Amino acid sequence: MGFTAFLVDDDPGVLKALSRIVRTASYDCRAYVSAADFLRDHDPAVPGCAVLDLYMPEFDGLELQRRLATLGASRPIVFLSGAGDIPTSVRAMRAGAIDFLTKPINRDDLLAAIARAEQYDTIERHLQCERQSADNKLAELTPREREVMTHVVAGRLNKQIAASLGTVEKTIKVHRGRMMAKLGIRSVADLVRFAELAKVQPHH
Amino acid sequence: MRTQDASNIRTLFGRIDRALRGPIVTALAYYAGAEAAFFVGTLSDKIFAPFWPPNVVLLCALLSAPPHRWWLFVAAAFPAHAIAEHGVGMPLSQSLVAFATNCMLALASAFVIRKTIGAPPWFRSLRNACVYVLLVAIAIPMVVALGGAFVAISGGAPMAEFWTFWSQWLMANALGGLTLGPVALIWLNERKMQTSKPIRVTAVLEAVFIAVALVAISTVAFEFSAATSARGFLPALLYAPLLFVLWATVRFGAAGAASMSLIMTVVLVWLTLTGPSLFLAENPESSVFAMQVFLLALSIPVLLLGAAIDEARHAEQEVRESEERMSFAAVSANVCMWRFDYDLDRAWITDHGRHMLGFAPEFEVTRTALTQAIHADDRGAALATVRSAIARGALADCEFRIVRRNDAQTRWFRCRARAYGERGSSGAHISGTFTDITEQKLAEIELAQQRQELAHLTRVSMLGELSGGIVHELAQPLASILSNAEAARILINKDVPDLHEVKDVLDDIIGEDNRAGEIIWRLRALLKKNETRFEPLNLNEIVNVTLRLLRNELISRRVRAVTTLAQDLPVVAGDPIQLQQVLLNLMLNAMDAMGDVAPEQRVIAIVTDANAAGVWVHVSDRGKGLQPAHQERVFQAFFTTKKQGLGLGLSLSLKIIKLHGGTIHLHNNPMVGVTAAFTLPRSNALLAAG
Repeated sequence: MGFTAFLVDDDPGVLKALSRIVRTASYDCRAYVSAADFLRDHDPAVPGCAVLDLYMPEFDGLELQRRLATLGASRPIVFLSGAGDIPTSVRAMRAGAIDFLTKPINRDDLLAAIARAEQYDTIERHLQCERQSADNKLAELTPREREVMTHVVAGRLNKQIAASLGTVEKTIKVHRGRMMAKLGIRSVADLVRFAELAKVQPHH
Repeated sequence: MRTQDASNIRTLFGRIDRALRGPIVTALAYYAGAEAAFFVGTLSDKIFAPFWPPNVVLLCALLSAPPHRWWLFVAAAFPAHAIAEHGVGMPLSQSLVAFATNCMLALASAFVIRKTIGAPPWFRSLRNACVYVLLVAIAIPMVVALGGAFVAISGGAPMAEFWTFWSQWLMANALGGLTLGPVALIWLNERKMQTSKPIRVTAVLEAVFIAVALVAISTVAFEFSAATSARGFLPALLYAPLLFVLWATVRFGAAGAASMSLIMTVVLVWLTLTGPSLFLAENPESSVFAMQVFLLALSIPVLLLGAAIDEARHAEQEVRESEERMSFAAVSANVCMWRFDYDLDRAWITDHGRHMLGFAPEFEVTRTALTQAIHADDRGAALATVRSAIARGALADCEFRIVRRNDAQTRWFRCRARAYGERGSSGAHISGTFTDITEQKLAEIELAQQRQELAHLTRVSMLGELSGGIVHELAQPLASILSNAEAARILINKDVPDLHEVKDVLDDIIGEDNRAGEIIWRLRALLKKNETRFEPLNLNEIVNVTLRLLRNELISRRVRAVTTLAQDLPVVAGDPIQLQQVLLNLMLNAMDAMGDVAPEQRVIAIVTDANAAGVWVHVSDRGKGLQPAHQERVFQAFFTTKKQGLGLGLSLSLKIIKLHGGTIHLHNNPMVGVTAAFTLPRSNALLAAG
């Protein structure tokens, strides 16, 4: 799937011109004249970034950013503004924008920001993907295997694990083997990374 | 303490001295007058005098003092009277009766004069002179003579001769009252008033000459008539002195008349008593009586004539003084009067008017000269205004410039004129005034210019406030243009350029540039220092234009503008820039008022509508409202409740709306916030009034 730039600006002229620029760089482009329209159409599955004008009637770019965050969509945002005052730009960057550009906007600056956004988005999606698959795999573990995993991740030896769980080392070895096989992991180091990804706490 | 007492005593002595001075002088004069009369009387072996001065003396004294002092003068006169009468051998009882009647005469006369004529000058008017003659010289003596006749009777004369004594007493006092009386009173008055007019030497010489001539002529005439047997000439000879008496009367008024009468009296009395009487009758008493009648008949009309002449002269003097004052006032106020007679086709203007218009003194003032003096640009309108006002019979009032004839300087004049009489009839004329109002006019013009400047500066400052928004608004089209141009460059560099797309891009660039141009044009119009220019406009448009200007400000301050604009709003006449300024001011004020209000509540409502009176616009906010104390002051210059603000916005808005013939006011809304409202009259109404 290609990367889409979602343009939101209440000025139709600006919107049209920016669309042209974006399309010359072979990105897909969707233009909205109001933030409400954008939100209505928003589909988090589509890879892309949002290019938002800060000063819009109804609700502005920062407000949109907040709403996207509450929706749980981690869409990268590039802010545009006709008046670049410092407090606003600081607020925008703190809230997690990729960049903040002032009009008139240079093509190179815009495309560079979108490229950065694409990078960010790709990594983010990849991360999301892995997290998802980790969750899936975790779901397949039995409770006992899960338990054993938390102890292994904590750095315990089989003997210690057997002692704390009140069973023999042999049983622990079996659980461990089955667990590693289900997860498809060879080393403990990979298991630790997996646990981090799946947000599994090591047993203390 | 000692010095205080000493000064008190000094003051007391001073007061006594002043109080007694008058009565003592009166007593002396009384005595002298009595002695003189007796002396004259003894010349004919009679002890009554044909002419009794002391009563006049007493009358003058009483008239010169306040009534509460009169007793002093009477008391002082008594010893004088007693001594004088005793000197001619009059018994005390008789002397007392005589004194009583004399005092009564003087007191009654003084009282009557005070009541009727009031205050000096006594003989300035005919009315006063008539009162004096009728009452003081005739009526009162007639009454008092009833007592005076008893003087002789109490001295042992027969009662049967009561009326003889009565008439003798009457005539003596009447004559004194009519001749010596006016002279003494006028002299007294002149002294008291200390007339500011300097006495001309020629006038004095003239008076002396007349007096001497009168004496000479009278003496000659009467001696001649008495000596010859040509008694037939007596009546004519008696008219001889009349020339001089009338001359004195005409030249010196009542004073001259009375003085000459007095002189005549003295001369005649002297001649009659020392020589053969020309008033021959059965006995000496009768001839004296005849002489007295003659003198009375002469002095009364002459005195009245003198008083009338005095009155006329005084009136003339007052008129002259009044004219001088008016003329002075006119020159000070730079006003002149002019007049144009239709039938005679003649124009006239005051001397000051000549000066104002720059006419030479010998320049002939004609109607053309006057109309040509008006500045060419103003002439048509001025003449039309005057003509139309005259046709309506109303006062014509107009202003125009004139060009001075001598130095070609331009001055502003205000002309007020009125027509009198029917056009075509005799005496029909138009007259009026010109007032030089150049200073005021220049001040007015300067004031208008300064107001213009102030409006402009305030506009600029307001736009300065909006500069952030303006920058933003310009950034949009510029951003479009840049991106479009960059896109076009890429498109053209392709192997197969899509020219259709490129054309599209170029169209868009042109459009955006025009858009930017419009913004700049709008700003330039507001920033220019414009002269007020009225044109027909729709207030809805002005509202929309102003909102567009404020767009970015509204967004950045998170304020919503809600408009309710009436359809088919009637046209009004106005200056679009100035009305935009007013709306900008009102809307910015509304936004400022809601600075502390929660963003969801920040709403400005703009409503336009029309009624019979005109078109109105309301701008409402939801701020904290106006304090009642500020409500009247809110339109004053330099009044502001904002932390930073010149306080000029509303006062300028008020001036602008007034200039448009409208009204503006602020009031608190029933629930929350303030509404600023202004109305403008409909266009046709304004054009009709203009």
